[in-house]
Amino acid sequence: MSDKLECNRRNFMKNAALFGAAPLISRGSMAKTRDASEQTVPAGQVPQRPMGRTGLNVSAMGLGGYHLGSAETDQIANEIVAKAVDHGINFFDNAWEYHDGLSEERLGKALKGRRAQAVLMTKVCTHGRDKKIAMRMLEESLRRLQTDHLDIWQIHEVVYDNDPDLIFAQDGAAEALLSAKQQGKARFIGFTGHKDPEIHLKMLSYDFPFDTVQMPLNACDATFRSFETQVLPEVNRRGMGALGMKSLGGSGELVQYGAMTAEQGLSYAMSLPVSTTISGVETIEVLDQNLRVAVNFQPLGEGAMDQLRDQCRLAAADGHLELFKMTTKYDGKVGREQHHFPTVEKLPL
Amino acid sequence: MPQTFPGTIPLRNFGRSQARVSALGFGGHHLGEAPDEKAAIEIVTQALDGGITFFDNCWEYRRGKTEIWMGAGLKGRRDKAFVMTKTCPHGRDAALALTMLEQSLRRLQTDHLDLWQIHGMAFDNDPDLFIRPNGAAEALVRAKKDGKVRFVGFTGHHNPKVHLGMLKTGFPFDAVQMPLNAFDGTFRSFEQQVLPELNRRGIAALGMKPLNGHGEAIKNGVVTAEEALRYAMSLPVATTITGMDNLEVLHQNLQIAQNFKPYSEVEMERLRERCKQDAADGRYELYKLSLKFDNPEARLAHGFPLDTEQSEVQDMLGAQQNTGHPFPEKKF
Repeated sequence: MSDKLECNRRNFMKNAALFGAAPLISRGSMAKTRDASEQTVPAGQVPQRPMGRTGLNVSAMGLGGYHLGSAETDQIANEIVAKAVDHGINFFDNAWEYHDGLSEERLGKALKGRRAQAVLMTKVCTHGRDKKIAMRMLEESLRRLQTDHLDIWQIHEVVYDNDPDLIFAQDGAAEALLSAKQQGKARFIGFTGHKDPEIHLKMLSYDFPFDTVQMPLNACDATFRSFETQVLPEVNRRGMGALGMKSLGGSGELVQYGAMTAEQGLSYAMSLPVSTTISGVETIEVLDQNLRVAVNFQPLGEGAMDQLRDQCRLAAADGHLELFKMTTKYDGKVGREQHHFPTVEKLPL
Repeated sequence: MPQTFPGTIPLRNFGRSQARVSALGFGGHHLGEAPDEKAAIEIVTQALDGGITFFDNCWEYRRGKTEIWMGAGLKGRRDKAFVMTKTCPHGRDAALALTMLEQSLRRLQTDHLDLWQIHGMAFDNDPDLFIRPNGAAEALVRAKKDGKVRFVGFTGHHNPKVHLGMLKTGFPFDAVQMPLNAFDGTFRSFEQQVLPELNRRGIAALGMKPLNGHGEAIKNGVVTAEEALRYAMSLPVATTITGMDNLEVLHQNLQIAQNFKPYSEVEMERLRERCKQDAADGRYELYKLSLKFDNPEARLAHGFPLDTEQSEVQDMLGAQQNTGHPFPEKKF
């Protein structure tokens, strides 16, 4: 992958120069050149913010659950969670389908004895199927997470144009959210998706009492198929908790292609009017990098925000820095199967 | 004597102008897939005989081959045809667009075009690049003023929002081209978002990709070719452009178009419903989704990274040798 990218970039630079186009992308990659061991995490805590009208306060940076399952060992996952908690991170993301349950199991173990300090979220993965399946997934998630209730339970991966119809169909996933809340198994409910602001807006148009909404938010999103301009204001207007994700483009594309540094990308996302910015971490080094931004975080001013938006505006316009909006790369297998869509392998975009 | 299908195809108004065009249009890109120039000339001749008057092309199709072959096919019958081609500045200057115009006129063996369009508006910043000082908008104005083109427009297949962005520039377009088919009816829909706006403004709407680009939905049995073509032609458009690379496909299309009866609203709705589930992830309209379907020329002009493993990219880099100038003239 990185070889190919490098090759593309080299060709691009050559071509851009020959065509006299202004080079939009520099080759530097700050995150990779810095030796993490040289720097320590400063003393202090990640600040907290209210999560919509829920009365909960959550840390301005949240720990993404998917990458906990990618960590090399259980031990490393434990260390990541423990260190995150020590520095004031209390928001923990997960999903029923991440690594076939491994992410939830690891988080459950790592939070043992510290459950009370955590705002625990996981997601249900019906992908259009009915309430009964959703409730079964809920029980499995609770068991894996070793808890009797979730703080937030969200519908995962609302990314296809017909998802809202399926979710709000009779006996659909929306009914499961209400049941779970009534049964006290989920304190708050929401949904998440990475594809298209219009699908989020359609979900909101049902006026269902969502407490939280999760979406991709980063400096490129600001000018390209923008959740920031189309969805975030509406979520804020409705008093829901806005949860940001993909602050660096999903797999660090913003940094990889030299649009900005990891520090700039995280700072931008965290400076938006969101409750938390969820960032996935699979090593202590990456956690430290995140904590150096998040501990004692002060939001950027509007001028600095504008500058970062401008910095990546031209490169953002085709979507190669936000592939989750463009391709099947970030679409889950179960979701595609349940919709009877070909798998990602059969539809490489 | 091989069978031919001479006849007439219903004519429709071209926007608010006095011009009229055949409800079925001849797509230029596929003409390049004909085995040789002689075969291409035969296809164009029979298309004219069969009642097609609207001919689509583009400066960058097959490095000029399709314009040259269409020019040869229309020779002596230029006045029977409504000839459109496209210019490909992809955000670059007006002067480049006008250089391309001269090349297109020469290849098509004509002194004027009926319609000249900006090709492939795909990226979110394309409207800004088009309308900027010295941008392609100025070329459209110039060409019209010089009498080299009667009407002007733009095309694109990627995103309805980009089309709406182009309309928001306020430029007086005569025509706008977009993908229109039963899948588009429910997925990132040009039919819902762009078409009504064109009709409201009296701009000629040109449909393309009635068979979803490469006919995948037909191969997979979701719709038949006739259903797909009739759906597209039943929309409020001036013409529906479709590619015909051999006589068999031409004849099939001519039969549908010569005997065309529009679907009722109920039939349209039924077909949209049938396609809806398959439409929802966009796999039948990959031109709306994938960076891999982006025109590499356009990506290069915008400074976006290229996928050098793509055959189109390899062709492009090899043929052009990156002089930064328009394609060198080539003999076909």
